[in-house]
This record gives sequence, structure tokens and C-alpha cells, in this order.
Amino acid sequence: MSHGSVSFLEARKLEKRWKGPLPAIVNLLFTLVIFYATWWIFQDPRGVMRLYTPYVGYMYTRWLLIILIWVAYIFDFWPFRREWMEKAHPLVKGAILTLLSVALMLALIKGFFEGLLGNYAMAYFNPDQLTKLKGITEFFAAEYAATACLMFAAIASWLSPAWVVAMEEAPWQDLKQPVKGMSIWIVTFFLSTLIYLMTMHPHMGILYYPWQEFTSITPPYWEAFANTVSGNFHIAWIMCCTVVVWLMETIWERYPFSAIRNPWGRRLSIFFAIIAISLALTFFFYFAQELAWGEAIRGHKRDAAPDWRWLHVGETAIFFLLPALFLYMYCDNWPRKFSTPVNMLVRTAIVVAAGLAVYAVYYRTSHLFLGTQKGFSHPQQFPMIPTIWLINIWLINYWFMDNWPGWTMRMKTADELAAEAAAREAEHTWSPRMLPGLAVGTAVGVALYFVIVRMVPVVSESVTLIPK
Amino acid sequence: MSDNKTSFSRRDFIKGAALGVGLGTLGAMGAYSYSSRRFEDLPKVQRKMQSFGTCRSVKAKVVSETSWFDNGKLMADIKSAGGLLVDQYTYNWPPFGDGTGLGKGSYQKGIAQIRDLLPNRLEEAWEITKAKSVNPMNAGGFAALVEVEDMDGKVRKYLLDSGWSFAWTDECFRREGIDKMLANGEIEALIVSHEHFDHFWGLPVTLKYAPGIKIYIPDSFYAEGLQYIKDAGHKGELVKVKKGLHPIEPGMASYMFDVPIICRVFGEQSLYFNVADLGLVSITGCCHQGIILFADTAYRELAYEHDRFHGLYGGLHISPFEDWDPKYDDLVIGLRKWNLEKVGCNHCTGIVTAKKFIDAGYPVVEGTARFRTKDKAYLGNGDTIRFAKV
Repeated sequence: MSHGSVSFLEARKLEKRWKGPLPAIVNLLFTLVIFYATWWIFQDPRGVMRLYTPYVGYMYTRWLLIILIWVAYIFDFWPFRREWMEKAHPLVKGAILTLLSVALMLALIKGFFEGLLGNYAMAYFNPDQLTKLKGITEFFAAEYAATACLMFAAIASWLSPAWVVAMEEAPWQDLKQPVKGMSIWIVTFFLSTLIYLMTMHPHMGILYYPWQEFTSITPPYWEAFANTVSGNFHIAWIMCCTVVVWLMETIWERYPFSAIRNPWGRRLSIFFAIIAISLALTFFFYFAQELAWGEAIRGHKRDAAPDWRWLHVGETAIFFLLPALFLYMYCDNWPRKFSTPVNMLVRTAIVVAAGLAVYAVYYRTSHLFLGTQKGFSHPQQFPMIPTIWLINIWLINYWFMDNWPGWTMRMKTADELAAEAAAREAEHTWSPRMLPGLAVGTAVGVALYFVIVRMVPVVSESVTLIPK
Repeated sequence: MSDNKTSFSRRDFIKGAALGVGLGTLGAMGAYSYSSRRFEDLPKVQRKMQSFGTCRSVKAKVVSETSWFDNGKLMADIKSAGGLLVDQYTYNWPPFGDGTGLGKGSYQKGIAQIRDLLPNRLEEAWEITKAKSVNPMNAGGFAALVEVEDMDGKVRKYLLDSGWSFAWTDECFRREGIDKMLANGEIEALIVSHEHFDHFWGLPVTLKYAPGIKIYIPDSFYAEGLQYIKDAGHKGELVKVKKGLHPIEPGMASYMFDVPIICRVFGEQSLYFNVADLGLVSITGCCHQGIILFADTAYRELAYEHDRFHGLYGGLHISPFEDWDPKYDDLVIGLRKWNLEKVGCNHCTGIVTAKKFIDAGYPVVEGTARFRTKDKAYLGNGDTIRFAKV
């Protein structure tokens, strides 16, 4: 196995600059400083550019995320040469790759969505086209266009990495860049378009009076199931997909599906498992809100509104992605000393506990330093913006800057790559001897679920997150 | 993927068990969480049926529902200042303009320009603030006169909110005779629904005529709002309404919701009336908590005639900037289950919403579109709505 046959991210080895937790602490502080400085400059309603309107700021946040994924995961840093990636200083790489990503993001938003689609396909992608409609102000024209545009990015940020994580880049895995990247990009872009048209286009179609029944399905087909005509129902499961795809890639190591030896069986199982797990989480996060706050009431404006409850499903999911990525990128995916299933379980428990803590801290304190409004369900309260903004900075630090300053980077030797692959193959196995444990564990898991169901109302009743 | 060894091994058992915990939990989540069986786990609504008396009738007079006159200008200001989460005291709108421009003001700098002139020399104060504020002539305001007839036939008057622009609010007060009612002590109290600029910043106009008037505010006012009440010249009792029910007189109660609101405002109080032999009537300033929550809260908390939600008047804060969202359609659809018999809406309800209500067959009382009210779908400036058993 050589460097050329694996991606740059797989071929590099990150080594701690100092022993113990210091590198993680240093990088956390470093990225938090960048987070807060950039938040103030770009997003904060009290800051310089004040993009947190919220949808305009959210659009840029989502699009930056998907561009980062494309640059690192789909195109493997093409057109930059591997040599340059190996030798350039992390600060230089970080600056150049980030600027390139921002330029691509602006070109896509302004050129493709607003310019091309907004002028020649669907008016709602272009604020200028929307302001031609009677009664629509510039502010909401920009918000509507941003909503449409960002939802495309949300769908793509599930499907694009899923093609690497689940589909293992097949059937183009043996091609060279940029043909491989371009093939995956075109297919995932096409699938994103298809899913966008079936999920968010009907949402956009009923934004106008009267409903645009000639161009979209009104009322939308999910109304009876989701108890709302809002596309937030789709945001719920799509956001869960974007989170689960990274859980699968990081703390779960694609196990147990990685034990399937048939390539297409393995790929398809991971792809659909991501969707199935996401749907399970979607329904549970919705149910948890019902347990905490009571049954949803259609037409309600705030935390009892079904549309907000679905949105909050996605918001909740993102809170768990933060600790999962931190564990993977800055804690070497701790622990590693047990068997893969046990490692997965321990990591999942850590992520659940840390995710709940981040959720509580966010709603308890974020209004004090982010310039947002306190409360759960303010229409302009979007925890997905600061959380994804921080994730973007972590990804830039991890993918583009090789975890500088807490880590140094060197390339793995061919032997190391081979040893890693062999160890993974040896560990990622399935045995019928696991069946008794699986049966007992499944029963425990079901019992655990019902314990959680009983605990949610009690915890909700005894904990007040929103300060007076 | 298979392994032929089948003898028991502790390590394999633990591996299987670890995997099974995830499988079982996720499987149960998927199978149960959105099934119809889940409703058995949800708490049943326990109605408190709290009585707050009855009144014979309620009448609302629209003093002003036009909080601003040009939506485009207002939203352009908000957009330029940084959006709907920006602190309202920094917008540099009147009366807190200090000449520094959009998004750069503060309460302290703004009030310093006019404090000495409040509340009696309002014309001078307005001229100063007009010169230093952004789009001062776009400011209007919301205010309504609420007349409650008790079971003995005695009528008590309340002012709900005090507008925004000093000039516009004073003009409306004089047009509807509110100035004289305030000066004569005919109005029992000013009820400020919430701290928003268009409901609260015209306070000195009320205080010019009745500085000693009793004022009810939500207890969630920010420091700037509390200081403004003092700076505007208030000499009377100030009641800070805590979250929940606050009876005012038989058949009339305020209810405070601790709801987060745009432009950094928190909390709104709205009014419930229990009209004899008719049912529940609600009167709202903006109803940021949402009319469905307002109705549902009454259902859970209160006892009212015939257990019927009869009617409502006020701003419903659905599409105040003529914006739209599919969730508003949920509201239009969801409101049907309450079987309202009389709906008077205006201000932040949104004309699109009012038209959708009419399209949906709701009993909307249309107005006369006078005194700068834009559409007859709204109960407009100078119009009246009365809730009483005929």
C-alpha cells in the first residue's frame, strides 16, 4: 500500500507536540479564539457584518461546511499537489485552502444559485427577483433566498461525505483526481437536487400568497404525517443524516458494517443504516420534546409548534456532533484500548453526556456572549449557526492545518499504512459467538430506552435551562 | 463475515452486548418514538379551571394600529442595522436618536437629548429627536382603548399600549379623545403589553396627560425600559406583572408569557376577558406568544363562560412585515379547531394573514381603512369592536 492509493488525510500521521491533554487544550483555546473573533466580525448581531439575520449567516455557514467537505473529502485537495500538502506550513495551507473555499462558496452562492438558478429557473433563489413581488421587503427576500440556498447545502453535506464514508467512493474509487472527485461531486450534486426538489421546493412553494400550486405540490405530501406543512420536517431527518454520517465515520469507525466482506453489501448497508439511524434519532428527539414540553400544538408559534419541534430535532442532533468531532480530532478517538464495539459504546456514552452538557450550557449562557436571544424557540435563535461555525473552524484546523499548533504532521510509511489496514481488518469482524451478548445487549438497550423515556419528563421538570 | 467458532467467550459476549445496547436503543427509538403508542406516555392535560369572574361586555377602540407606515423602510433599517436580533435601543430610531446613524445608538445617548423635556414639552422633544433619528416619520405606534362593562353596568377604561412616535400618538389620542380621558382620570391604567418600540416608546404622550396613571408592565423589562418609565416622568404606581395570571378586575385578567421576542425584547402580557353568557375574549398588543398558545393557556388554566373561546382583537404577530412562512399556514389551519365567532385583527397580524383568515372562512370583522390604515381586512384606526351577548 502506498501514499498514492490512499487519500492525503488517511496517509498523514498527526503526532502530538506535547504529552498528555495539553495539545487538545491548546487547540481548543486556539480554535475558540478564532471562533469568537470571526463570530464577532461576521455573525454577531452586535458585531461588524452582522450576517446572523439569521438565514443569511446560516447560508454562508452551511455552504462553507460543504465546500470544506468537497475540498478535503471529495477532491482530496486537488489541484494542490501531494508534495505541497506534505511540506507547506500549516498556517500557509490553512490560509490558502480557506481562502479558496470562501472564494468557491461565494462563486457558488452568487454565481450558480443567485445568478443562474435565481434568474433562469426559480425566482426564490435570487433576492432581487423576489423584491419584484408586491409587498416583499429586501430583508425577507434575502432571508427566503438564503433559506433555499442553505437547504441545498444541508442536503449535500449529508450526501457528499456519505459517498465516501458509506459508498467508499465506488464505483470511481480507483480513478485519479480530478476525475474521481468530479464524478462523486456530480452524482451527489444530482442526488441533492433531487432530494431538494422533493423536500424544500414544496416548502418554498407555499411561502407565497396564494400557494404556488402550479409549480409545487400543495399542501405538501408530508402534512398529515408531520402535522405541519413546513419543510422543517425534512430539516429534522436531513440534519440527523449529516450528523450520523460523521458519527459513523469517527466514533463508530463504520462498525459493524465494516465487517461485511461483500463490498456492495457493505456500502449499501452503511448508506441505508445512516438513514435508518437518522430516522430513529429524528423520531426520538421529537418524542423527547413531547415528553419534556407536552404534545405539539399545530399553529403554535414557539416551543409547542410542530414545525419548530422538527427544527429543534436537527438543532439537538448538532449538539452531539460537536463532542464527537472533538473526541475524534483532538482526543485521538479515545478510547482505543478495548474491542471496537466497546470503544464505540464508551465513545457514544461520552458524546451523549457531553452533547447534553453543551446543549445545557448553550441555552443557559449563549445569549450572554453570542448576541442571540435567550430562550429555546425564538424565530431568530439558531444554535446550528454557532455550532456549525465552530465545526467549520475545527475542520479547517484538522484538515487544512494538520491540527496545528498542538500537533505536527508526517506521512505514514507504507508499512504503517499496511499495518493499520491489517489491524482494522482483524478487529472489524463478526462472530456467531457474539450472538448471546448481542441478544442480552439488545434487551438492555430496549430497557435503557424506556428508562430514558421515563427520565426525560422528570429531568425537564427539575432543570431550568433558560435563566430569568 | 462469518466465524465458525461457536464456543462461548467472555470477550465475544461483551463485544456482542456492546453492539446490542446500541442496536436495542436505536431500534426502540425508531419503532416506538413516533408510534401512536407514545401518546400514552405523555402527560394528560389537567385543566385548572381557575375562575376570574365575569364582565358584561368588552369594547376595544383602535386608537392606532399603524405602528409604522412603510414596511420597506422599517425592514431596510433593520437589515442595515444587522437584523431582527439587534437591540432596539441601538437602532437610532426616535425618540432615542443621537445622530450617529443606524445601529450605533444607545438608550443613554438618546434619552440625554430629550430627557429634560419629558413629558410636558413633547413637541420640542419630538423636533429634536426627529432631527437626530433614522426615518422618524416612519414611526407610528400601537394603542387601543379597552372599555370593560362590569355586571352592574359600570364601565371602566384601560389604555393598552402607548404608541411610538410622539407626534403620531398625540394626534391619535386627540382624534379619539384619549387626551381628555387621561386628563380627566377616566382611564384606570395603562397596560404596556411589552417593551417594543411601537408599543412603549410613546409613553411620554400618556404621561403628558396623566403622569400619575397606574402602569402595568411585564416584569421582564430590561434596565433601559425601566429607566425610560422614570425618565418619561411617571409619578404613579408601577405594577410588574410576573409570569402567569394577574386578575385586574372581575372578568378581566392579564397573563404574562416569558417569551423571547425580536429586537432584544423579552416577555409579553395579553388580556383575557370572560364575557357573561358569551365566552372568552382576548385582547392583545402583539401576541408574540402566539394566539394558539394564548388560547391553549386559557383552556388549561381558566374557567370561562360556556367553555367557549368567543373572539379576539389585536395584533396577532403572524406576518408583521408581510413575510410568510409555512408555519403561518399551520396557524391558519390550526385556528379552526377553536371555532372563533368574532375576529378583529390588525397591526402585526399581517394583511396577508387577515386575507388568509377571510379565505378560510373565519368571522373576520372588517374595518373602514381610515386614518392611514391600509386595508379593510384590518380593523383600522378609529374602528371599534364590541364583544357582548346580544
